[in-house]
Amino acid sequence: MSTILDVPRPRINFSMLSRYISKPVCFVGRVEKVHPTGKTFTVADGEGQCVCVELNDPLEDELSGIVEVIGMVSNKGAIMATAFSMLRDEKGSVFDLELYNEAVKVIHDFPQHYPFDAAASG
Amino acid sequence: MSVNLTAGAIEDLFNESPVINPVLQVMYIREYPPGKQGHTRYRLNLSDGVRSSSCFLLASQLNHLKEAELLAPNCVCMLKKTISSYLGHKRVLVVVDMDVLQTAADAGGNIGNPTQLIGQTTGQQEANPSTSSSDEIPGPSGYGTSGSCENSQMKSSPMKSSWKASPMKASGMMSSMKASGMPSPMKASPVKGSGIVSPMEASPVKGSGMPSPMKASPVKGSGMSFPMQASTSSSPSQRPTKLTPIYHLSPYLSNWTVRARVTNKSDIRNWSNSRGEGKVFNFEVLDESGEIRITAFNSEVDKFFSLVEQNKVYLISKGSLKVANKQYTSLKNDYEITLEANSCIVPCEDSQGVPTVHCDFVPISQLEGKDPEAIIDVIGVCEEAEDVSLITTKAGKQLTKRELVLSDSSGKMVMLTLWGDQAQKFNASCHPVVAVKGARLSTFGGRSLSAFFCSTVMVNPDIPEAFELRAWYNQVGHGLCSQSLTEVQFTSGEFRTNWKSLSDVKTEQLGHGEKADYFSCVATVVFARKENCLYRACPSESCNKKVQEQDDGRYHCDKCGKDYPDFKYRFMLSVNLADFGDNVWATCFQDTAETLLGLGADRLGRLKDTDEDAFNEVFQKVHFSKHIFRSRVKLETYNDECRVKVTVMEVLPVDHRQHSRRLLNSIRTLACGN
Repeated sequence: MSTILDVPRPRINFSMLSRYISKPVCFVGRVEKVHPTGKTFTVADGEGQCVCVELNDPLEDELSGIVEVIGMVSNKGAIMATAFSMLRDEKGSVFDLELYNEAVKVIHDFPQHYPFDAAASG
Repeated sequence: MSVNLTAGAIEDLFNESPVINPVLQVMYIREYPPGKQGHTRYRLNLSDGVRSSSCFLLASQLNHLKEAELLAPNCVCMLKKTISSYLGHKRVLVVVDMDVLQTAADAGGNIGNPTQLIGQTTGQQEANPSTSSSDEIPGPSGYGTSGSCENSQMKSSPMKSSWKASPMKASGMMSSMKASGMPSPMKASPVKGSGIVSPMEASPVKGSGMPSPMKASPVKGSGMSFPMQASTSSSPSQRPTKLTPIYHLSPYLSNWTVRARVTNKSDIRNWSNSRGEGKVFNFEVLDESGEIRITAFNSEVDKFFSLVEQNKVYLISKGSLKVANKQYTSLKNDYEITLEANSCIVPCEDSQGVPTVHCDFVPISQLEGKDPEAIIDVIGVCEEAEDVSLITTKAGKQLTKRELVLSDSSGKMVMLTLWGDQAQKFNASCHPVVAVKGARLSTFGGRSLSAFFCSTVMVNPDIPEAFELRAWYNQVGHGLCSQSLTEVQFTSGEFRTNWKSLSDVKTEQLGHGEKADYFSCVATVVFARKENCLYRACPSESCNKKVQEQDDGRYHCDKCGKDYPDFKYRFMLSVNLADFGDNVWATCFQDTAETLLGLGADRLGRLKDTDEDAFNEVFQKVHFSKHIFRSRVKLETYNDECRVKVTVMEVLPVDHRQHSRRLLNSIRTLACGN
């Protein structure tokens, strides 16, 4: 598990999932539904598309709001989460998921200006 | 003469036989008796080398051809489009589109030896009909005059009688025209004056219900009081009514029926002046051929105001036509209609073919180039709306108004003022797309728009431009800080901000002009100078002059000329601000420094004297804090030295979402630019 946190994990949204199969990614979205077993839940990105997140250990607490999930993309398009964190609302400011989505798109549209891979390895 | 005239074209044209782009020579051009307000039209006598006819009117949009002398006697031209029309009971062809193939100079003299075309009788009239006094097509009032096509034989009275006697009560046609079932057709058609029609060719036009034979019957020369018949009319054969396209309406037409959709309906407006009082409302209608404005006064207001609904289609007839007052409308029609007591408006279910609201939207960025007082159609997203406010006019009237800011994809914004009911009813939530038809442009605050009583304001209209604008706004527009054409300060909103980066200050040479430049930026305090951040100021109210300490421990203020036992600390803080591009030194005075440092001047002063650590702590905290700085920059000369001085006017916390949106938009804009 520590290995995934050492490797660059690009931020993606739903439309980019297919490009990152078997690769570590970081996905931020709003929690939609939590499976009764607690081992999986769905997250919706800024465009409203849902992704299924699978956990190794079932959830202990209530999960809601915006979460950031780090994990590998499975070949079925789900994310096998190794770590996740909830973004709490701070000082009344709401996380603007649509805006975040726009930023993610920009990062991917202009990789020459956002060389995260090189920065991480270099 | 290398150009050949289309022989037989004149006969064909008046026969209603199809003839495509006939080439004709202009024999002469007469000025039409000017109608009201000097509305000039030209009447042409055209020849195909065999026959000639003076029953041609030049459409007013082609007047320039004559005025530029391109169209002159003897020139050769090609008629590309004509419309059949009627002056009283005389048929004329209105030339809507033509090309001049040969100028008069090139053509030389007359081509061929054309004879005048009149009726069935083979032309043996004088070749130069211009001598005939019966030349003049009757003016607007002249239904009764001899509207004959130059035919010296035909003089008014004799023809009249023979004509009337003929079974050709062409006026019978009238009834076929009106869906509303007009009674006695005779009444409707001003069958006066000479129709020059030899009874020979009288088609058996009896009574109603003969629309088709009408068309087929050879309409030679003038004089059949046929109803309006536009050869380009789109009325399909199944419709029993003979409709007139709006394009053809003119004061010289009688008995028209128009089928059109109401695009713009105003409120009732009451007025009272020295001549009396009254009420008026107007509306604009549109059909496939064009638009026209309709006004109703007093009793007609009562009759029609509730009947006429925006966006519905009606059959309208029997209004009076006059030259349009362009001051009140953006429509491109020379005429406008006034409803009379006998006007008739009937809802029409069959609206096939009648287009919906037609607006000629002007991008906001082009408003600067338009004349002030122009009537404009605009569509934009309502970014901000002030609340409804009440103002009192100079006349003492109370008006409600509401100001909105519209922005569109041209990247500019403008203020739109709504009045009265429109102001109160307007719902500004969710950034609606607002389309205004017929708003008046004014020079208030630079350029701004006002929706006066004739304008129609549509919120989120069902038109493609609205959808495009909504899509643009959702993707790009909402974060865009467009430049406003209206330099009025808003109490709320972002519109006065001029976002720059610190590198722009140098590259754009801000402050180098005559006036100071104001800008806003997001920057980080890299350094705040502790030394001399405070000065001792005169304690009296509103005098902030630096005081000199006297020997006796009192403080002397030069401005007040007094000594004071005490002073007050005031800020004059030098900070170095930086962003990705550059850094600048700026000065923060009392208010801004207090906001930045988070405490008042006197408190800091006390700390400075008492607790040095705490004093330093204050400055530590401010280092590397990020804020929005609204600043004033000016090039100032001090003892032969020119320096750009930046003064911070306001310090605000960074709104990250807004800042992110701005950045995203800049990125996208830059990307598109490349």
